Amino acid sequence: MSYTASVDKTVCISAGLCVAEAPEAFVFDDDEIAEAVEGHPGLSDEALVELARSCPSGAIRVLDADGNEIELT
Amino acid sequence: MTGTEQTVVLTTFADAKDAYRAKDLRQALYDEGEIVMADVLVNLHGEEHRARRRVENRLFRRETFDHYERDLFPGVIETTVAPYLAAGKVDLVHLGHELLLNLAALTAGIDRPEGTAAETERLYAYMMRFVEGATLAHSTQDKDAQRVVIGQALLDWDAEFLTPSIERRRALDPADRPRDVLTCLMEHADELGLTHEVLRREVAFFLLAAAHTSATAFVRSIDHILGWIAEHPEDAPKAAGDPLFVQRCVHETVRLNPSSPIGKRRALAPVRLRSGMEIPEGSSVIIDLMAVNRDPEVFGPDAAEFNPYRTPPPGVAPFGLSFAAGMHVCIGQDLAAGVVPGNDVDPDNHLFGLVTGAVRYMFTCGVRRDPDDPPVRDANTARPYWGRYPVLLGGDA
Ligand code: HEM
Repeated sequence: MSYTASVDKTVCISAGLCVAEAPEAFVFDDDEIAEAVEGHPGLSDEALVELARSCPSGAIRVLDADGNEIELT
Repeated sequence: MTGTEQTVVLTTFADAKDAYRAKDLRQALYDEGEIVMADVLVNLHGEEHRARRRVENRLFRRETFDHYERDLFPGVIETTVAPYLAAGKVDLVHLGHELLLNLAALTAGIDRPEGTAAETERLYAYMMRFVEGATLAHSTQDKDAQRVVIGQALLDWDAEFLTPSIERRRALDPADRPRDVLTCLMEHADELGLTHEVLRREVAFFLLAAAHTSATAFVRSIDHILGWIAEHPEDAPKAAGDPLFVQRCVHETVRLNPSSPIGKRRALAPVRLRSGMEIPEGSSVIIDLMAVNRDPEVFGPDAAEFNPYRTPPPGVAPFGLSFAAGMHVCIGQDLAAGVVPGNDVDPDNHLFGLVTGAVRYMFTCGVRRDPDDPPVRDANTARPYWGRYPVLLGGDA
């Protein structure tokens, strides 16, 4: 578990795919905007990258252990 | 277009996906279509778009789709097809419009108190006017005269269909209101600052966005499957018996035939794509979906062929970018085409999408081409639409 995820709240459109696919790793805040749970529980690094790739709005960013952004396209 | 305005055409999958996700590229596909499209979701940008989309996304969730796909749609499909099945034949183009409009009306929240084919015909005529309005930029007719006719159609449709639907919902206890776009907008109208005129256009847009696109995908999917099983007779039983196979066929059909052959954006600021491509401020961006979805780098050397067994690389949907990506990614994607199945898919809990459900139902009815009446292309458009597609149903296949 070395990768970290974050959601750009100005990009998220609340499609809810991350929350539906990985409810332990992503939750909705009070405004129904997705939020990443620290350590992305229940998701491997690979699965996290896969999920971030399929986010419809491209709001999820993934950084590796050294803080480098993972290429998602 | 002014002399200094530039047009950038994107033909690779990576550039297209990047462009769809770029915050400084604004929707431009419906310029001139404001009679129907002013202030509707797909034409909003930035915070205004996000606020509306977030509200509507609460409806477009898995639970709602499950409810539509399992409880609502099967009955509508059966009832709509029944008279044609009894007659033993139908024009698929006509049936596709009737069927998918009935399903779209349920989603949009347009009640059809009579529930007759004649009522659907009237709704269909209105919807085609709205399509004409949305695509006015491409019209070769007198656009001002068209605007008058389309504006009047919106008012007539409002009086005949929309206002009675609003009144029925108002009279219901909130817990008993149907889960549809109209109820959702009515309940959030104050929060979103929606006037009745904007609500009218938004519901009209949902009707056309849902019905026209999926009716076209319905006919084309059946055409592709008939072609495929003629070449691969061993797959014939799957068309009626294996919904995952049918869903793959629908995805492949939608990849090869995006509802609009292009996406269009305008650069609000200079944008640099990851490939290094520079898009100057003020320029027009054309996303050539026909090329993008046939990009051999992504879909292989046979990218232009129909192959339901194709496996795209990770991060690429089997339907390519036919539902777009980024902020305007189709809100009805899962509703129309279902969820893309993973390796561990459980068919009992899987969402197949309304096009898959409707197409598969036709194969359970023995749909096949009529040897005495071949399909014909629509002569009124340069786009590859079917004008008539006569098929036989039931009886001996
Ligand atoms: C095969 C069927 C469909 C196809 C190919 C399709 C395609 C698309 C595409 C390409 C866009 C993006 C347009 C752009 O950004 O220029 C879009 C947006 C949209 N679609 Fe679909 N669509 C389909 C079915 C549906 C259905 C069933 C619904 C409604 C229930 C729907 C509602 C919408 C809406 C509301 C938007 C605007 C989203 C936004 O701007 O945030 N579509 N669709």
